[in-house]
Amino acid sequence: MLSIRHLGHRYPAAEVPALDDVSFDAVRGEVLGLLGPNGAGKTTLIAHLAGLLPIQRGEIIIDAQSLAAARAQQPTRIAIAPQEYAFYPSLSVTENLTCFAGVGGLGGSEREARIAECLTFAQIERYATMRADRLSGGLKRRLNLAIAMLHHPELLLFDEPTVGVDPQSRAFILEAVRKLADAGCAVIYTSHYMEEVEAIANRVVFLDEGKVVKQGGLAELLAEAEAAGAQARPSHGNLEQLFMALTDHSLRG
Amino acid sequence: MFPALIKKELLSLSRDVHGMAALFLMPMVFIIVMSMALKDVYSPSTKVLAYAVANQDSGKLANVLIDRWAKDAGVAQSLPDNWRDELVAGRLQYVLTIDPDFSAQASDMNSKGEAKARLLAEPGMGQAMFEMQRMRLLSIVTQLRAEVLLAQLDLGINVAALAKQTPVAAERVSAGGARPTAVQQNVPAWLVFGMFFVVASIAGLFVEERACGALARLRSLGAQPWQLVVSKIVPYVMINGIQAALMLAVGVWLMPVIGGEGMLLVGMNWAALLVMLLAISLAAVSLALTVACLVSTHAQAATLGPILNVLMAALGGVMVPTFVMPPVMQKIAAFSPMNWGLEGLLDVLLRGGGVAAVLPEAGKLTGFALLMLMVGFALFRRRV
Repeated sequence: MLSIRHLGHRYPAAEVPALDDVSFDAVRGEVLGLLGPNGAGKTTLIAHLAGLLPIQRGEIIIDAQSLAAARAQQPTRIAIAPQEYAFYPSLSVTENLTCFAGVGGLGGSEREARIAECLTFAQIERYATMRADRLSGGLKRRLNLAIAMLHHPELLLFDEPTVGVDPQSRAFILEAVRKLADAGCAVIYTSHYMEEVEAIANRVVFLDEGKVVKQGGLAELLAEAEAAGAQARPSHGNLEQLFMALTDHSLRG
Repeated sequence: MFPALIKKELLSLSRDVHGMAALFLMPMVFIIVMSMALKDVYSPSTKVLAYAVANQDSGKLANVLIDRWAKDAGVAQSLPDNWRDELVAGRLQYVLTIDPDFSAQASDMNSKGEAKARLLAEPGMGQAMFEMQRMRLLSIVTQLRAEVLLAQLDLGINVAALAKQTPVAAERVSAGGARPTAVQQNVPAWLVFGMFFVVASIAGLFVEERACGALARLRSLGAQPWQLVVSKIVPYVMINGIQAALMLAVGVWLMPVIGGEGMLLVGMNWAALLVMLLAISLAAVSLALTVACLVSTHAQAATLGPILNVLMAALGGVMVPTFVMPPVMQKIAAFSPMNWGLEGLLDVLLRGGGVAAVLPEAGKLTGFALLMLMVGFALFRRRV
């Protein structure tokens, strides 16, 4: 579905590129875990996919079309659930959904049906008339998820969608992400929580200092980590050990 | 896409209590307070001044002078013994003293006029009011003296009838039916100020929208920068229109109810008013977009917007009329968009001007709007 080839990007006046020769694929029905320390280039990569940054080097292909052509044809094929609460705090849940549905070109009964569907999927029907800024952290994350789903995207980008939520909401969001992939979406999921990626990802890409330092199937990477002698901890230690080894254990900004 | 974006903007604004207060309540309060406070500047009433008369002359002419003075000035207070202290303390605004032998000397053609009618004012009386009172006293005494002396000449003239014929008339000329009152001056002034206050609202909401990632989400859904800019211009031009209607309604209907003078729209050119309001609105919204793209935080937006507004208002003649400013300040005022807006509205509301009369001001405002739009759009593309 998505092919990124030799993608490079350097911000004005930056000494080092934010992305340097990045290449990987994301396929329908799979969750791709995108891991990397702060400043690794994850947000820059997502900004490219969301059409917020022009491509300086390399290419992004969506089903044999360039990203620009695919977005020009149907921008809502790709949806983003950003790290921030990307909605209007003074608007109610339904008003937010109506706004983003309208901007994406949905109208009439189709819009109403989609809004109802997304409210149900995110289990926020009870809060439909509540102002978004009065929702709890978990409900806000679920609203963010609902908005991302409005246009039935083929590629969904989740940028740390579980930051600041309770364990129940986190479990709900992870299950929802997995369901979306099972329903045929291609999902790119970034997180600092290794156990989340281990729980839902099919494949993993490690990004550091703008470069892909490792990528592969989850099982394959876990096996490789064990074979390399990483000190496994119950359930989620391997991926974290591998992450730390790949990123040199050094603190990042 | 546009209906969704415009509806979102209007909903967000309608729930911004502080923004709504700044846009609607603040200019309304300014119009009411300033119109009432400045009422006497445009229609000065001498009857409200506390005064007393120290008449040391027993002649008839002194009494006639006191009667004629009281017609405009109202009834004098009784003269306290310590009237000089009262005057210095400002409890009496002025004292009219009449020297002994005033009547006799005023009736004597050969008199050198040593006995005088004197106006002694308290130290805080404004120069304009002092001059007005002095000229009134001079006028009454001169006329009285002329009447007495003419009667003495026995020329067969009906002096009483002649005295009633005053060959002087003074009025302010305008093409419309309005005359300058505090309301007629303050409504346009504070309307312009209020319209430019969209700067704070737009900048605040824009910063919030950008910081929370909603703007990025809109872009990812295919909204182009120009569409986002236009979707912000349209609702705020509508808001400016509602502001204008509300402020004019306050001037026309509310002010007379609370004791002020009503605003007159008789003979006003509505097309010219519409042209001016649109030009002011475009300038205000374009400036707001530029400021919104310049600032990074809500605190910056909440500070820079109002500061810019107050500065433009102070320089542009909204707070202090330009005609009382020194020449250098008047030249600076000519560069303030608020001054262009105010002068254009005064052309329509006070001077009875039509579309042609307001084109220079509307043109300057539109040019300013285009410049700000270009700058704002360039910044917008970089910031979003």
